[in-house]
Amino acid sequence: MGLFGSSSTPTASSPEQQEIKSAVMKHLQQEAAMNNARQLIGKVNQHCFDHCVPAPGSTMTPSESTCLSQCMEKYISMWNVASKAYLARAATERKTGGLDTVAMNSLATGGPSPSSM
Amino acid sequence: MDQTLDVSKLSDADKKELSQYLQNESQKAAIQQNVHHIADTCWKKCITSKISSGRLDKNEEACASNCVDRWMDTNLAVLKHLETLQRQ
Repeated sequence: MGLFGSSSTPTASSPEQQEIKSAVMKHLQQEAAMNNARQLIGKVNQHCFDHCVPAPGSTMTPSESTCLSQCMEKYISMWNVASKAYLARAATERKTGGLDTVAMNSLATGGPSPSSM
Repeated sequence: MDQTLDVSKLSDADKKELSQYLQNESQKAAIQQNVHHIADTCWKKCITSKISSGRLDKNEEACASNCVDRWMDTNLAVLKHLETLQRQ
């Protein structure tokens, strides 16, 4: 817990402190965005390779390339539908006093590294 | 890491704020993680025919949203049953 350890300076934030704070926030955000993109690319690669290149030849054929671009767009659409449906369901679940869906699902997917990745 | 990220210079209030921010971000990341997992699972279930367009067709889209809902139901069912097992 070194990151948020003690060592206190109980005055109002100086410009330097503000800067540090926003730099850390920005860093966290970039890290998260990068992680998200990496995951998505990995999944697209995996699924679209499976789907579009069933028998790898000596070169990539034009029809394979077309399939790959369409597959990629389709996967992203799937991701968006999943995201929307998940959030909608999580919202209703919270309203009806069901379980904390976030906690419940991080249980269900085995945390940050699903086996299928 | 660059010099500006020396968090030991922060006040307690700032540290608290950052800690809260980190918590929010990690919750967001957990949700995204779930979405990745669900999209992966539902892709396998719903995209079974040859891909001929970059968009989801009607059936695929319906399948996808059913898939998400049933996945959540499954989750709930498993947890509920687990609870009853624990009480025995």
